[in-house]
Amino acid sequence: MHLEAILEALQETFPAEKIEGQSLPIGETFVALSPDCIQPAAQVLVERFDLRHLSAITGQDTGSEIELLYHFWDGQGLTLRTSLQREEPHIATVVNLIPGAAFYEREVSEMLGVTFDGCPDRRSLLLPDDWNEEPPMINDRVTE
Amino acid sequence: MLKEPLSFLLTVEGERVVDSVLRLGYVHRGLERLCQERNYVQNLHLVERVCGICSHIHTTTYCQGVEALLGLEVPLRALYLRALLCELERIHSHLLWLGVLAENAGFTTIFMYAWRDREIALDIMDELSGGRVAHAVNILGGVRIDVGEASVASSLMRLDELERRIEVFLGVIQHECTFRARTRNVGHLSAEQVRRYCVVGPVARASGADVDVRRDAPYAAYDRLRFKVITSNEGDVWARALVRTLEAVESVHLCRQLLTELPDGPLSVRAPRRVPPGEVVSRGEAPRGELVYYIRSDGSDKPARIKIRTPTLATLITLPDQLRGVNTADVPVVLAGVDLCISCADR
Amino acid sequence: MLDRIVRWARRKSPWILHFNTGSCNGCDIEILDLLTPRYDVERLGIVKEASPRHADILICTGPVTRQSRDRLRRIYEQMPAPKWVVAVGSCSCSGGVFRGAYNVLGGIDRVLPVDMYMPGCPCRPEAMIDGLARLLETI
Repeated sequence: MHLEAILEALQETFPAEKIEGQSLPIGETFVALSPDCIQPAAQVLVERFDLRHLSAITGQDTGSEIELLYHFWDGQGLTLRTSLQREEPHIATVVNLIPGAAFYEREVSEMLGVTFDGCPDRRSLLLPDDWNEEPPMINDRVTE
Repeated sequence: MLKEPLSFLLTVEGERVVDSVLRLGYVHRGLERLCQERNYVQNLHLVERVCGICSHIHTTTYCQGVEALLGLEVPLRALYLRALLCELERIHSHLLWLGVLAENAGFTTIFMYAWRDREIALDIMDELSGGRVAHAVNILGGVRIDVGEASVASSLMRLDELERRIEVFLGVIQHECTFRARTRNVGHLSAEQVRRYCVVGPVARASGADVDVRRDAPYAAYDRLRFKVITSNEGDVWARALVRTLEAVESVHLCRQLLTELPDGPLSVRAPRRVPPGEVVSRGEAPRGELVYYIRSDGSDKPARIKIRTPTLATLITLPDQLRGVNTADVPVVLAGVDLCISCADR
Repeated sequence: MLDRIVRWARRKSPWILHFNTGSCNGCDIEILDLLTPRYDVERLGIVKEASPRHADILICTGPVTRQSRDRLRRIYEQMPAPKWVVAVGSCSCSGGVFRGAYNVLGGIDRVLPVDMYMPGCPCRPEAMIDGLARLLETI
């Protein structure tokens, strides 16, 4: 992974963002971006650097916001981090670039209530069809 | 065969599958949420039970992540023992799979032989850890078991026997014409499909992808071991059988290295209960492929978030493509070919 | 007289149906192991059936998840009497490590009457054979 070149390319593509690589274990670099930059950033990674392997999309409720992490990997890890507001969180889908993201987006969608705009498949992945409670991974939820 | 609840809606025209819709979730227990309510030590037992077949790689990947957050250096002997159980688990998982595939293809004899011979690997794990299936070998900071000279000797003997038996299965896969007829050109995935869907593990390697976490981002003791990453360009169920069986042979060689080159030293270092705030992404090569754990700690003794992406989730997504145009009689073979572990996928 | 013959036949050839309601597979692979050459329960007359209509004993593994509850009940109802339910593994006895999870209802006895509990995580094949033998004695 040409990390320096990738960070430069991302800074070029998003001059208004402050692109900084945060080194984290194990062999990872995290880069924070605004939500509307995620899909174009994925395009840069896929089309310019052939970095297509998306290991997972993690969604988490940090209390103040919903954070999404897109974990790319080719021996070294590059994770794109973004924060969405808790009220009706939504972000552009990356499924047209990376079809393998479909299941990950569906899971984040049902677990945290995030809408992936442009994603053709909005069915729940793991939860029962008759699930009518709050998304399970939202933190104010109380388990029995 | 291995009864795991999974729902498939197949649309067929005559004898051919035209489309399929997959429904997961019957084994969804809400594990990730439960992890936030338990402390790091309790979670060790919880993540071990994401999957009974690959329980050890789950705890290994989890421990690695938490140990990185704690800044612990796990002793080398412990890393070797972790890798040893990882490889024994790979052997047992691949033989289990071979039996299931054979049963689904109507070859019950191979199912019986494969599961009989798999008992040898289970015997080794039982002797070393006290458990056939759930080994509970890992603790935060190292391992809780030690291996004496007598166990090393008996394990090496059993490994020789295991290798002889696996060679027989290799012969069946390579030369048995009925097995080839049932698995050749069935469930085909191209190299391009594998890249697009971010497929991992033996399914990806059977379509030419040269990826293996053990080599690309070595963990446990893998940076000190010599092994081959097995790939094939055929991309069908037969190629997956070949890749997995050859991997099982490589795993036997790895187990021999691990047992004969086992370094002296302590088995663990002390791990504090509270984990300083931080984030980590930890990876391991499970028998089914790349396993990813993301862990975020907030300074307490309970994790703020544990995200688990199991390899089966990354291979399941290819099933509709694999099933398109397939004869209904071949559907069980295609399903078996991806080595589904629904309890891993659902968590 | 007929009664004794029927009871003898039932005890000598209990056909089992295995149903996974949310298991991690640990207990399931140990159950399948029973059929393989080392443990070979077929010598006890035990055969694994695919249809509930042919089964005498329902062997359940795993905690009951919301999605599997209705199916579990339906399968039980489809089995002809007399029938027995065996809960294999700690999860099907009580929910095991998953007790308290949002999608887990608990052990099998939340949904069905259980005749034999076999704890263990996973339950070892020897323990299962012992449990089955004890159950057969009561038939």
